[in-house]
Amino acid sequence: MRMQLADVHKSFGENHVLRGVSLAVEPGEVVALCGENGAGKSTLTRVISGAHQPDRGRVLVDGEAAVLKDPQAAMALGIEVIYQEFQQNLFPHLSVAENMHVLDRDGRFGRWSVSRRRMAEAASSALRDLGLDIDVRRPVGELGVAERQMVEIAKAMTHKPRLLILDEPTAALDERESERLFEQVRRLREAGVTILYISHRLDEVFELSDRIVVLRDGRVTLDEPTGSLTPARVVTAMVGDAVDDFYPKERNATDRVVLRVRGASGGDAFHGVDLDVRAGEVLGIGGVVGCGRGELLRALFGLHPLTAGTVTVDGEPVRARDPRRAIAGRVAYVTPDRSGEGLAMQQSVEANVSLPSLGRFTTADVVRRGRERAATGKVMADLRVRAASPSVPAGSLSGGNQQKTLFAKWVMTGPRVLLMDEPTRGVDVGAKTEIYRIINGLTADGVAVVLVSSDLPELVAMSDRVLVMREGRPVSELTGDDVNEQNILEHALVGAP
Amino acid sequence: MTSTVTSLASRSRLSSAAAAARRLRAVWMLLLVGVVLTIASPVFLTHNNLMNVGLATSVAALLAVGQTYVIVLAEIDLSVGAALGFTAVVTAQALRDHGLVAGVAAGVAAGAAIGLVNGLLVTKTRMPSFIATLATMSVLSGLSLQLTKGNPVAVTDYDFQGIGQSRIAGVPVPVVIMLVVFAAAGYLLARTRFGRHVYATGDNTEAARLSGVRTDRVKILAFVISGVLAALAGFILTARLSTAEPTAGTGLELEAIAAVIIGGTSLAGGRGTLLGTLVGALVLGVIDNGMNLLDVSPFLQNVVKGLVILLAVFLDRNIDVLRSLIPKRADGTAHRGPSHRGGTAAAKTR
Repeated sequence: MRMQLADVHKSFGENHVLRGVSLAVEPGEVVALCGENGAGKSTLTRVISGAHQPDRGRVLVDGEAAVLKDPQAAMALGIEVIYQEFQQNLFPHLSVAENMHVLDRDGRFGRWSVSRRRMAEAASSALRDLGLDIDVRRPVGELGVAERQMVEIAKAMTHKPRLLILDEPTAALDERESERLFEQVRRLREAGVTILYISHRLDEVFELSDRIVVLRDGRVTLDEPTGSLTPARVVTAMVGDAVDDFYPKERNATDRVVLRVRGASGGDAFHGVDLDVRAGEVLGIGGVVGCGRGELLRALFGLHPLTAGTVTVDGEPVRARDPRRAIAGRVAYVTPDRSGEGLAMQQSVEANVSLPSLGRFTTADVVRRGRERAATGKVMADLRVRAASPSVPAGSLSGGNQQKTLFAKWVMTGPRVLLMDEPTRGVDVGAKTEIYRIINGLTADGVAVVLVSSDLPELVAMSDRVLVMREGRPVSELTGDDVNEQNILEHALVGAP
Repeated sequence: MTSTVTSLASRSRLSSAAAAARRLRAVWMLLLVGVVLTIASPVFLTHNNLMNVGLATSVAALLAVGQTYVIVLAEIDLSVGAALGFTAVVTAQALRDHGLVAGVAAGVAAGAAIGLVNGLLVTKTRMPSFIATLATMSVLSGLSLQLTKGNPVAVTDYDFQGIGQSRIAGVPVPVVIMLVVFAAAGYLLARTRFGRHVYATGDNTEAARLSGVRTDRVKILAFVISGVLAALAGFILTARLSTAEPTAGTGLELEAIAAVIIGGTSLAGGRGTLLGTLVGALVLGVIDNGMNLLDVSPFLQNVVKGLVILLAVFLDRNIDVLRSLIPKRADGTAHRGPSHRGGTAAAKTR
């Protein structure tokens, strides 16, 4: 399929996500689409798959203007998408065969009663075409992640696609499984299927693609044959050279080490990590999703097993087998999943803020409400948590105020080490700046901060030092002027040069 | 900034009392039923009859106290009725063979042990509480019958009978016990760290655990409270009837759950009060009493009760819709949280 986009624009409210994207994908070509988070990759995918309608511009299929009013219309033209969250499209308790033919649109297996035998045969043969040997009677829930992904691809193949879009397909796969996926992609290309491959792993992009297209801030900044490109050029196109004054970074780092980690390993997630974080310092951890940085933070807070290594805070060993012990060791953790594990949304803002520190306000286990209110009120005022009253439910606050409430809860415990994973996710710009000021306030008080963020400009601006991880191992440490997006991406994606 | 926070705080304390009353919709239900019965029957509003209502309500109400803790934790305890029967039998037998102190101690210990087993099953084996307590319910009701060979156990101890049959200042002892337990349990839930941990764990177990709450221990304790109160309810029932029936508690778990739900506690967890549960239990007690006074066929009584439960929950779920039909007052600034009512209940299917 020859697929063209001509000057496509798309906005969500004030947010202008696609600002005139033009590109063409030729039949039997593998085109890699790269870009940072928020560059517009997902929105572009959704425009092509009919899930979003462009505000302006045209989509042409084989030279003719196509109206993709919904995903069904795109599917009818032979456009199939394997989303990054492909697992959500599978039914874990149904068999592989049933999953592959959920949308038996033409009633091939009988209109009133479905013939399981014919369905199984069709499913096996579709899987065999991909060179796979999976028992189609097994429930999908019993398969490994890689096999599930293959089922999803085989399912897409039963619709005889002419354009297949793969969104971060290797995010959940290990190296061997990825290699198998690449074989399939090459096979499909041989069969004349056009492939749009979205990834931020540059090594695989270079291995697989015929052409690389880079998006930045909703515009195409690079569109050239892979053979004529270098990883450095792709990274430059992704990052641009915009420097922002939006980050009020203060340098408060001292010489005294607060958090010391030696030889930390956490199962398969990360290995041999050494850290020294000083009082008032922000140590950023860079790396792509799946590099083990999230698990590292969780292990330091007792939420992920630490299979080897030692942790000390101010020289005292901390064995964080659960969050309680971590908190007792004056370690705090701002989770990236605010509603899942951050706040109790039906409880009052105040009750959320005081929860880990309640012991300070109790006499014989009875909560002294006046003391609690005074102390939480002070922290909330310091952090500028805006709530109609401290007794409204946390769930009634805006995302930014919820996030500040989450910070208030941990500031209240008087931590020596504050671990934060995606501290500004789902927060508007104004609240972001306020959260950066909270981080400044903490470092001014001598707290050691470990910052994990996939928002690269944020990571660069707010960190004093950045440790880059790749596939569970620290690969390099950047300091001073070396802390920039280009370096972080290069080390995270292709390893140390 | 700080001053606005404090002024908002003091204002909200006033309005929170008003909000609590408004939130307790079961009170209106109770008043409505009370007014209807006062008009329909001259006997209803007499001291003696009201004491009868209290007496009849006390057993299910005590079960509902433990159930409130469990339901606020987003769990359920179906075993309380069977636990009542089992502890009653154990108490009566120990009382007959070893005396009053042994009887009471055996009953309390049995209740605590049942709660501990339920709690451990739910937290350590990660079994859904519906299944775990359904199983212990079955085990306990069978054990009660096995222990007694299906026969009631007579209790002749005069002091023990006093728990069910004597009065303090004209008020039956079971009613006094009920009120004391509600006050104590209400204080524990509303004012202590343990109570805070119950709400936080029921609302979002992971968030509570990440805040250092020992969520497993909180749940186990709630089940133990439920078991011990089942034993206490068993004492009252046994003392009143002077016999321990192995099947005495059958069906009472549903009565207790109904009282909790009518009282406005959310099955999705994180929300509910013991005052609400008390009112919920009284609503059910008053309806029972009223139907007896009005000579409603005993067969129809269950029908009416079922309809009342539906009505109460319907009102609770749809109050915001109903309220939106009434024109807003000028000062309609009072904050109404996000509509967790139906929302979270649907979202948090545990």
